[in-house]
Amino acid sequence: MANNNFSRRKFLAGAAAVGAAGVAGFNPLVSCSGGGSQKSGSLVTGEPFKKVSDLFIPPLLDKAPDGQPLKAGVIGCGGRGTGAALNWLAAGPNLTVTALGDVFQDRVDSCRKRIKADFNIEVPEENCFVGFDNFQKVIDSGVDVVLLCTPPVFRPIHFEAAVKNRKHVFMEKPVAVDPAGVRSVLASAKMAESQGLKVVCGTQRRHQRDYIEVYKQVATGAIGDIISANAYWNQNKLWHRNPQAEWSEMECMIRDWVNWCWLSGDHIVEQHVHNIDVINWFTGTYPTRAVGFGSRQRRLTGDQYDNFSVDFVYDNGMHMHSMCRQINGCAGNVSEYIRGTKGYTNCQNRIYDLAGNEIYSYPYPLDEAGTPMRSVAVNPYDQEHIDLVTCIREDKPINEAEATAMSCLVAVMGRVSAYTGKEVTLEEMLNSDLKLGPETFIMGDVGIMKNAVVPISGEAAN
Amino acid sequence: MPKKVRSVFRKRSLLLLLFGFALGMIGAVFAHKGIKATSTDKFCERCHVHPHVFKSRKLSSHYATKSGMLVRCVECHLPPEGEGYLKEKIRLGAKDIYGFLVKDSADFNWEARRTVEMAQHFTSQRSCLKCHENLFPLTLTKEGQEAHLYYTQNEDELLCLNCHIDVGHYDPNRIHDRNVGFGSTTVANADVFTVPARVSALETFTETVPGTTVSFKMVAIPGGIFRMGSPEDEPLRKSDEGPATDVEITSFFMAETEVTWDEYLAFYSATGAEGRSTDTEGRRTLDDVDAITGPTPPYGQPDQNWGMGSRPAITMSYYAAETYCKWLSLITGKNYRLPTEAEWEYAARGGTETPYFFEGNPKTFTEKGFFGKLFGKENELIGKYVIYRANSMGRTQEPDRVEANPFGLKNMLGNAAEYCSDWYAADAYSRLPEKVKDPRGPASGEERVIRGGTFKSDAALVRNAARDKTQTDAWLKTDPQMPKSKWWLSDCNHVTFRVVCEFDENTGKQQ
Repeated sequence: MANNNFSRRKFLAGAAAVGAAGVAGFNPLVSCSGGGSQKSGSLVTGEPFKKVSDLFIPPLLDKAPDGQPLKAGVIGCGGRGTGAALNWLAAGPNLTVTALGDVFQDRVDSCRKRIKADFNIEVPEENCFVGFDNFQKVIDSGVDVVLLCTPPVFRPIHFEAAVKNRKHVFMEKPVAVDPAGVRSVLASAKMAESQGLKVVCGTQRRHQRDYIEVYKQVATGAIGDIISANAYWNQNKLWHRNPQAEWSEMECMIRDWVNWCWLSGDHIVEQHVHNIDVINWFTGTYPTRAVGFGSRQRRLTGDQYDNFSVDFVYDNGMHMHSMCRQINGCAGNVSEYIRGTKGYTNCQNRIYDLAGNEIYSYPYPLDEAGTPMRSVAVNPYDQEHIDLVTCIREDKPINEAEATAMSCLVAVMGRVSAYTGKEVTLEEMLNSDLKLGPETFIMGDVGIMKNAVVPISGEAAN
Repeated sequence: MPKKVRSVFRKRSLLLLLFGFALGMIGAVFAHKGIKATSTDKFCERCHVHPHVFKSRKLSSHYATKSGMLVRCVECHLPPEGEGYLKEKIRLGAKDIYGFLVKDSADFNWEARRTVEMAQHFTSQRSCLKCHENLFPLTLTKEGQEAHLYYTQNEDELLCLNCHIDVGHYDPNRIHDRNVGFGSTTVANADVFTVPARVSALETFTETVPGTTVSFKMVAIPGGIFRMGSPEDEPLRKSDEGPATDVEITSFFMAETEVTWDEYLAFYSATGAEGRSTDTEGRRTLDDVDAITGPTPPYGQPDQNWGMGSRPAITMSYYAAETYCKWLSLITGKNYRLPTEAEWEYAARGGTETPYFFEGNPKTFTEKGFFGKLFGKENELIGKYVIYRANSMGRTQEPDRVEANPFGLKNMLGNAAEYCSDWYAADAYSRLPEKVKDPRGPASGEERVIRGGTFKSDAALVRNAARDKTQTDAWLKTDPQMPKSKWWLSDCNHVTFRVVCEFDENTGKQQ
């Protein structure tokens, strides 16, 4: 058992390092779990601080360089898919969108219209695909890159198909909603790596210049060894869509997807994974067990919780506390906090010493009046695509799939613990057969909504 | 003058140097040629004359490769060049020459050499990975993805051989899949028992399992007091065998032999799960809920292709062994269960207080130590009673190969280790109160006791008092199913069990 733990830790640290360091070159895959050239940069386990040159930092150009024309296909044409398409088109010269896919015709139409309006690009009618098999048709239509922006339950299938057809990938977080999906993404990530494919994920803080500057400082020792961490996403309720008479059950759920666990992973996975991912990125490792709780108090649709509070524990005894809530009229907070032996940081733009004196502040660009602006020069949603295109055109390594998949697994670990009331280990999650949603997808009645049960942990009081 | 000498010396030394260099070069060229010449398949074939090696190689996926590449013997059996290639070549070469000159290849236990346990000592993991640099090719199946991902997470404990042992030498009997057809062969024209044995006294009886053709002998074990554990001066003892303590045991019955495949398969086919799609919990119809849940189909070949029949059934989990007892109790109307550790040792000793139930000093039997290793002590006396490393040919054997102990029980020592119902604790005996009766071991624990040594054990480990324990994690390490089987062990081929039956009102005890 001791042995087992050791190797597991090694794997986890290695995987985190891949996340932190991206892929340092086209490495033999067998070295991914520890023996590779990129040793863990875990600040939790007290390893030596790194030099900036050892860190993986995306190219961060203001515009992607010119080069061969790149055609993208959008899979999932809702709000985020359309947004991603626009971010893609804005990333640099010679970029286009040539195929669209969604399960709903109206989504394809609205996305197509928006691309025409904003960039005067006409996606050919014959390259617009509707139905659950749209992803394969988009992939087969001759694109170079796919933008995977459907609800996350479909991501593992789409990612695998994209990689097997040698497409570069931008994919939204989360990349899976359950352990089976996470493992599929981990395996596809390794396939992508072996093919030299570029993969960028929608955990955009890793492409946000202020976060990256603070990351450099922390990784090189600005706050010493990390001793605790907090992650927050407390906000108002998200949107919902009420069922319509003419919609089938499947259509009702997909149009209301952020409220159904099998589609979104619940908001601890769907949304809060951003903050958990920042902690994983900064610490260079993963928590190995969790005890959490949560509840449903205000929500009307779907089968999800309103709030989660999870105590994540690392092998060396360090804790990360995570809380996330979607209830109107409560205190809001979307941020991270990491404390070290020498100071603390909000991860985004400021570092303090132990006494609370600010020792670093990110220098935001100045506006015309000479006062610092509140955001970075290139918004991170564009930056993701600029970095993707830069890495494709200059053949630089980038593959964020494994890091994002592991962050999703950590979030799933928290969710499962809250739903069941039990302590859950990352090891259990890595080896769990939990798989959400129906075996096959049909646009009809699937018997999920009427049987939906909101999980209740523990035993009834007597 | 000195100048002249120096110049001559210089000239000569240059000559000498050149000569030495040339000699070195020639030597190197010949050595290189020699290494090359002794690394060809033809060269290997000269000494490895056993024809099945080449036949199985030609049928393997590394010979008939899809791409037309041909993998040479040394490419798998030696590490990559520059990574200890020469050293390993010398080691294996010396071994082969010794074997070729001194031994007869017909005497080798070829089958045992094809187990992962042995094959890893002459197959190089680094060589696997040198050619198979990319463990995630685009053509990898879903199952392959899961398995290779598992490998990348457990590199220190896994070998490619664990799943791919037949890629270099084809084995027609090997199964690396769910073995749905396992145990489905039917026995023709045998009488099916309709009633269980009726037992009216503490006398040896033959149990007849209703609805099956299976019967087995249950030996009456009269109760008594014995000294459990080994004295501190017993040769080759371990500390967990003490302190030796007096223990009283109530009368019971114990199976003459370890549970046989015939017996275990009767249980498997009566309770097992046809058409079950997963290896987790049985998916049963409502009508079945009162019945005992039986094993799911195994993964691979549980009997290791050693044969079944009266050989001990192996590779079942502790849970499966326990469930077997429940099933047997249900259909025979008696109380069958696994023995406690105390009952087991009491039965194994058969009244003796010596290291074995026969005469002999462990030191004279063991192969441990310099002389033991050198001469490989097989001893006729121990070999008469015990299947252990020196006489097992690397596998379990049928019970009629050995003679019984004083109680009439066979294979208590050796052959396969046997589950006991106690939790294992190294200090279990020191926790026993004085004058204890029928102890059941620690109240809780992580691993169960196994007793009796195995076909792989040295003579030191088949003593009456020798103790061992289960290894839950290690014994399921390579089970590729998710979740791992709770019925079958993927990585343990040396444990079985033996049932005991309580002497109670169902078996003729007068109240």
